[in-house]
Amino acid sequence: MKLFRNKILLLPAFVFLALPFYGFMTAIVQSLGNEEPLSHYWDLLDSDRFLASIAFSIRTAGIATILSIAIGLLLIRSFYKILVQLSPRLRVWIPMLFPHFVWGYMVILLLGESGIFSQIAVVSGWMESQADFPIWTRDRYGIGIIITYVWKEVPLVILLLLPVYSSIRPEYYALVDTLGGNGWNRFTTVELPHLLPVLVESFLIIFSFSLTAYEVPALIGTTFPEMISVLGYEWFYGSSWDDRPLAFASMVSISIFLLILTIIGYTFLNRTRLKAMRGGK
Amino acid sequence: MRSRKISFSIIACVFFVFPMILLLLQSVSSPWRFQSEDGFTWQWTSYQKLLQDPMLWEATLTSIVIGYAVLVINFIIGLFTGKALVSSPYKGKAWVEAILLSPILLPVLAIAMGLHLLMIRIGLADTLIGVILLHLVPTVPYSIKIFYNGYNQTGPAMMEQSNILGAGFWTQIFTVELPLLRPAIRSLTFLTIVISLSQYAITAIIGGGRILTLPLVFFPYMENANTSLMAAFSIWFAVIPVTMYIVIELLILLLPYSRLPWRNHR
Repeated sequence: MKLFRNKILLLPAFVFLALPFYGFMTAIVQSLGNEEPLSHYWDLLDSDRFLASIAFSIRTAGIATILSIAIGLLLIRSFYKILVQLSPRLRVWIPMLFPHFVWGYMVILLLGESGIFSQIAVVSGWMESQADFPIWTRDRYGIGIIITYVWKEVPLVILLLLPVYSSIRPEYYALVDTLGGNGWNRFTTVELPHLLPVLVESFLIIFSFSLTAYEVPALIGTTFPEMISVLGYEWFYGSSWDDRPLAFASMVSISIFLLILTIIGYTFLNRTRLKAMRGGK
Repeated sequence: MRSRKISFSIIACVFFVFPMILLLLQSVSSPWRFQSEDGFTWQWTSYQKLLQDPMLWEATLTSIVIGYAVLVINFIIGLFTGKALVSSPYKGKAWVEAILLSPILLPVLAIAMGLHLLMIRIGLADTLIGVILLHLVPTVPYSIKIFYNGYNQTGPAMMEQSNILGAGFWTQIFTVELPLLRPAIRSLTFLTIVISLSQYAITAIIGGGRILTLPLVFFPYMENANTSLMAAFSIWFAVIPVTMYIVIELLILLLPYSRLPWRNHR
């Protein structure tokens, strides 16, 4: 009876799951179309716009994710003892209070061509005119997108890593110290094994989000090269209905790419776990 | 330790506190033009303009309704799933967990595009319910994770004890689990509301432009509003979740074993 009731409790979650999975299946069916199989995918491979966009998206999202994780890790390593208190933690989490696109607007306000920094640079005599200020928003290199994502995701990384750091027992550090290890040894032998699963998970969550979210690149990105989400949205709502299957095909391709990445990530985790269990290095 | 505290304060202020202060200052000052020596000039009109816009109020109300609806559904699904996962030792739990969390990794845009046709067919396109359902997609996996962690930290012993003492299903939830899960409820509330407030694309697709939420007003504002007005609007985006959070915090006070004295004799 108890077991049965517990399974019943899972029912709402599985009813919910029907939503994303039905949506995703429909997207796959729509992307295949009625004509010869995979024709829309061949169209994608012929489209320079799509190829440029996908390269740009993976590069931009990749840089943003790696930077967020590296900075978040650095901050939590240096300030863990301070961050366990409530008020410093709340201060770090301020960016999480705002939606991504609002933070994107803040970045424009701060770093745009007529933004606060460029004004200060001119007034202080550092630059001749605002035209000398580097273009960091709506730029070709996705700098604005990267800055916005890093700024928003660093607090998230801290949020995800904080429980890991509080679960590490201080005796481990003492052990490394007694055996004559240095700070680097502390990190690789004590922290890294605890951190690795959360790091892989954080990477996947942040990467898949920044790769496929529409709002920030629509606000702070440029028209060429454009992020894949912006291109997909445009194809979906574009002037001709002929582009709709392309929107579905591009979104499905990116999902398959993310799926493969997830499998690689978890296989890697399992292998390191097995190795650790066997006592290897 | 002391120098570390100072460097932390500097980093936290420059990168996390300062941007919000900046938005606040800009929202109560005319647009800054330092070159022509237009520094901080106090004004209140940006808020007046913002709050006089009937679209803003309509969108705020819609966003709040959607936010709370999404929160309640998330709460129910998260609570039940977390409880089921923690109290059952059956095999394959890792797989169930992985499947439940997998929607985080699928692009919401792809799911919204796919569900659009279904929503048209069953008459939920351009409706509040359709948008609420779509907002569940990026939030529910997080809620399940949060509640699962919460239940894990509480441990099954707590639940067994109340079981032995003869508490029924709902008594157990209200007197033991919810009071202990308070931190989980707090993070869930905050996360769900902010994520729901952040959705532009999927709200536009499923709502068809007829369901007007705050992001749908914010994006067109970008094109013709001045910086002060935009800064005021940005602050508005933080005011809404904080207000909604305070309401939930008051509801949490109604749970047993809160600090309110009248809740302590049960």
